[in-house]
Amino acid sequence: MILRLNSASRVISSGGKKIALLDNINLAVKEGEFISLMGPSGSGKSTLLNCIGMLDSFTAGNYTFLDEEVHTLKEKQRSKLYKEYIGFVFQAYHLIDELNVYENIETPLLYKNVKSSERKALVADMLDRFNIVGKKDLFPAQLSGGQQQLVGIARALISKPKLILADEPTGNLNSKQSTEIMELFSELNKDGVTIIQATHSEKNSSYGSRIINLLDGRIVSE
Amino acid sequence: MIRNYLKIAWRNLIKNKGITIINTVGLSLGICCFILIALFVTDEISYDRFHEKADQIYRINSDILFGGTEMHMAVSSDPMGATLKKDYPEVEEYTRIYASEGSKLIRKGTELIDEYAIAYVDSTFFNVFTFPALKGNPKIALKAPNTVVLSEKAAIKYFNGVDTAIGEALEVNNTLYKVTAIIEDMPKNSHFHLDVLLSMANVDYNFGDYLSHNFHTYIVLKEGTDYKKFNNNFREVIAKYSLPQISQFTNIKSIEDIESSGNKLEYSLIPLTDIHLHSTQNIELSTNGSIKYVYIFSAVALFILLIACTNFMNLTTARSSGRAKEVGIRKVLGTEKKSLVLQFLSESTLIVVLAHSIAIIFVFLSLEWFNNVSGKEISIKALLQPQFLIFLILLPFVVGPLAGIYPAFFLSKFQPISVLKGTLSKGGNKNSLRNFLVIFQFTTSIILIIGTIVVYQQLNHIQTTDVGFNKDQVLIVDNSGLTNETRKSLKSEIEQFPEVKSASFAGYIPVSQSARSDTTFNTGSVNTADNGFNMQYWRADYEYIETMGMELIAGRNFSRSFGTDSTAIIINEKAVALTGFEDPIGKKLYKTIGKDDKIVYTIIGVVKNFNFESLRQDVGPLSLRLGDNSWRTAYRFNTADVEGFISKIRNKYEAVSSELSFTYSFLDDSYLDMYQQEKRIGTIALIFTVLAVIIAALGLFGLATYIAEQRTKEIGIRKVLGASTAIIVKILSKDFIKLIVFAFCIATPIAWWFMSSWLRDFAFRIQLNWWVFALTGIITLLVAIITLSFQTIRAAVANPIKSLKTE
Repeated sequence: MILRLNSASRVISSGGKKIALLDNINLAVKEGEFISLMGPSGSGKSTLLNCIGMLDSFTAGNYTFLDEEVHTLKEKQRSKLYKEYIGFVFQAYHLIDELNVYENIETPLLYKNVKSSERKALVADMLDRFNIVGKKDLFPAQLSGGQQQLVGIARALISKPKLILADEPTGNLNSKQSTEIMELFSELNKDGVTIIQATHSEKNSSYGSRIINLLDGRIVSE
Repeated sequence: MIRNYLKIAWRNLIKNKGITIINTVGLSLGICCFILIALFVTDEISYDRFHEKADQIYRINSDILFGGTEMHMAVSSDPMGATLKKDYPEVEEYTRIYASEGSKLIRKGTELIDEYAIAYVDSTFFNVFTFPALKGNPKIALKAPNTVVLSEKAAIKYFNGVDTAIGEALEVNNTLYKVTAIIEDMPKNSHFHLDVLLSMANVDYNFGDYLSHNFHTYIVLKEGTDYKKFNNNFREVIAKYSLPQISQFTNIKSIEDIESSGNKLEYSLIPLTDIHLHSTQNIELSTNGSIKYVYIFSAVALFILLIACTNFMNLTTARSSGRAKEVGIRKVLGTEKKSLVLQFLSESTLIVVLAHSIAIIFVFLSLEWFNNVSGKEISIKALLQPQFLIFLILLPFVVGPLAGIYPAFFLSKFQPISVLKGTLSKGGNKNSLRNFLVIFQFTTSIILIIGTIVVYQQLNHIQTTDVGFNKDQVLIVDNSGLTNETRKSLKSEIEQFPEVKSASFAGYIPVSQSARSDTTFNTGSVNTADNGFNMQYWRADYEYIETMGMELIAGRNFSRSFGTDSTAIIINEKAVALTGFEDPIGKKLYKTIGKDDKIVYTIIGVVKNFNFESLRQDVGPLSLRLGDNSWRTAYRFNTADVEGFISKIRNKYEAVSSELSFTYSFLDDSYLDMYQQEKRIGTIALIFTVLAVIIAALGLFGLATYIAEQRTKEIGIRKVLGASTAIIVKILSKDFIKLIVFAFCIATPIAWWFMSSWLRDFAFRIQLNWWVFALTGIITLLVAIITLSFQTIRAAVANPIKSLKTE
């Protein structure tokens, strides 16, 4: 079991009213699963991903990640936890504009104090694996959307996470690029990486082993 | 890791060239000012520290109040040093400098040169002070009479070299002295600079007089002696040695008598290293600095640096939205806040190091000019001294974090979730700290502007105020080296020139650093403790008052038609007040000479008070008696062709003596020389004020750029809805103008307080005018509005279609 949510909710107050962004979510994710979160805009997909990724927190309920009670952890311990085990992929790629492809991929390793020679080897492997060796010196602005997302995924994978959280990873891409990215996710999943993605697309969701439908912050079907 | 930070930092600098230039220029100007002022301050506080016993050497100051005249002197009586050494075991050594006679004529071949850097010193001079010898042994060089020690400069000046000078004879005022040692030139940062040191044995003086104060006396105290405690010994010295001499011609018998009559006789020690910055005594060996200006300039340096740092903070936080995304991503990728702070600090340090390098180039380029302005002689070498070098190297690593610490924390606290969601508010203009910083910058600038205007007003006041004599168009010619007959015949010849309105022998001239003599008078024929007072006692001739343009307000001038005028005396208003006479004309004044003898003077006139010292001091009591003091001749002239007039006089002088150099000065120049320090302060203040305003304006410009950029969409919408360019400019400027008005309100009382206390140094001063403050406010607002308008007008006239399309 990689993570478990027990009646997890996230309630915010806006203009004096309480709004439940996530309402009583119960979810268990096993290692090696590929889950697709589906639902219309505002149904809570992104919020759920952010909370699982510990960028945001649940306001009620229990969240267990790799046997750690996340809701009892302090900010610093949480950050250590997700730094170690979780990789993020974003719809808008979120690469650092001032760094080139090589440096973007290398960044997470810098924060883990990996030795320079080892970093070089790991980044070279990754560039190889994604077939972007020739682009390593280019800056994000010089890449197409699909290529940027490849770099984004490479960056998420470089620290060998157990879990990848992908928020509409193909939302800004055309269908050909989308397919490529989804095939890549499939392969990663086969190699043992657990993936949770949020998506609008029926086609993308079919790559997953499990589909969860959200509406107004609640799981409506599985 | 650091390499990665620096890489990003560098790319950011390149990407935002405009901001980088503003930051770098601002910081390098700020750092340049800071380094220059640091050099100035380092030089000021280094005075007299080069002596081996610098911490043990003290000078004896004398503070005397007698008959309403206060005297604070750097000189002491001739036996004082020896007495202290004899009576107090803490005193290891003493030495005296006797420079009261002023300049002397030294022969070089057929030429006579007027040497000013000359004094008699005790043979112990080199036991107290440390001046390395080039030739001979200075410690024994001045033991015998007719010996002289020269500086290297003097040896070259009079003998064309060190080797050719030693053992030779030097002719000083017709007496021959043997050159027994040659020392290195005295360092610039010494409070005295002497090139010719004559043996004290040659001084013609009535030694042993505890009541005449003419010797600069220095003593060396044993290590660990508390000089403040030592000061208590002076009462004993006065009781034992001074009182017996005082009681010879007054009825004063004890120290209590002196005090009960309202008079004062006090001695105290001042540490050698305090003299340059802390001494306020008169009769110093050279013009001192002032600790007040050291403080003021240090503060100005710090504030200019802070203004420059503030620019960096403001611009960095204002464009934070540009960096927010990076912060968010880095946090998601696992960085901790600590390392983000470190990253931003290394960025700010990088830009400061860059600015620092440019600043050092500025310093090299401007040093000569700065020396001119500040009257210093700081060399590039001063920059390379180990302590200063360490300071230079460390500076950017202090300034960098100083400028970067706030932006670093500001930027690194962004929550990744809000950045990634895009809900982060753009840096915006509602940042209270940024407003505070802008207010700080302009408060400082406004204080500096007001300060500068007031300093210039006071300088102008000094030049235009009525000082009681007419300083314009008076030429003063030096007569030293000529016989009395030659002086007289030259004067009567030149008097015939049509340009000359009147001529007078004027040894005493009403600017400080010229001849002075003062003496005690009594208003009654029997001396008592309360009928005596001290006043200036000048010799003047029949034409003196006319030539100097002074004004008689009662009685008459000296006149050749009165045979009795040799005992006539003219006193000033201040002296009249001291005598207490209601109608002073015809009253008698008594001057004691010797034990029982007295000269009786009759007051024939009262001259209007004139400032014979600088305007810092009030006018003291003064008297004029008939007599020639022919060291100098003063000519009041009236001609447009001043050059021609001078060359005519020069011809006359050179005709009588070819060996003498013709030296002259103008009274108004000598008058202004008294205010060198104020003039320098004025110039320095002006320069640093302009710089501070430029740096602050640069910051405002950068800030306006970002605010205008951030509000592009708002401006676009407003224009579409029909707002005119003027309205847009107003909207964009309004917030800044408010801040500046606020800064003005804070700055005004502070500036008022500072400048009032500065003006208090002057007995004659301007009133602080409200319009100075108003003018400053207007200048500042204009600078701000012009600066802002570059950006606001551009933003306001931009086509709204473009700005709206990009959203």
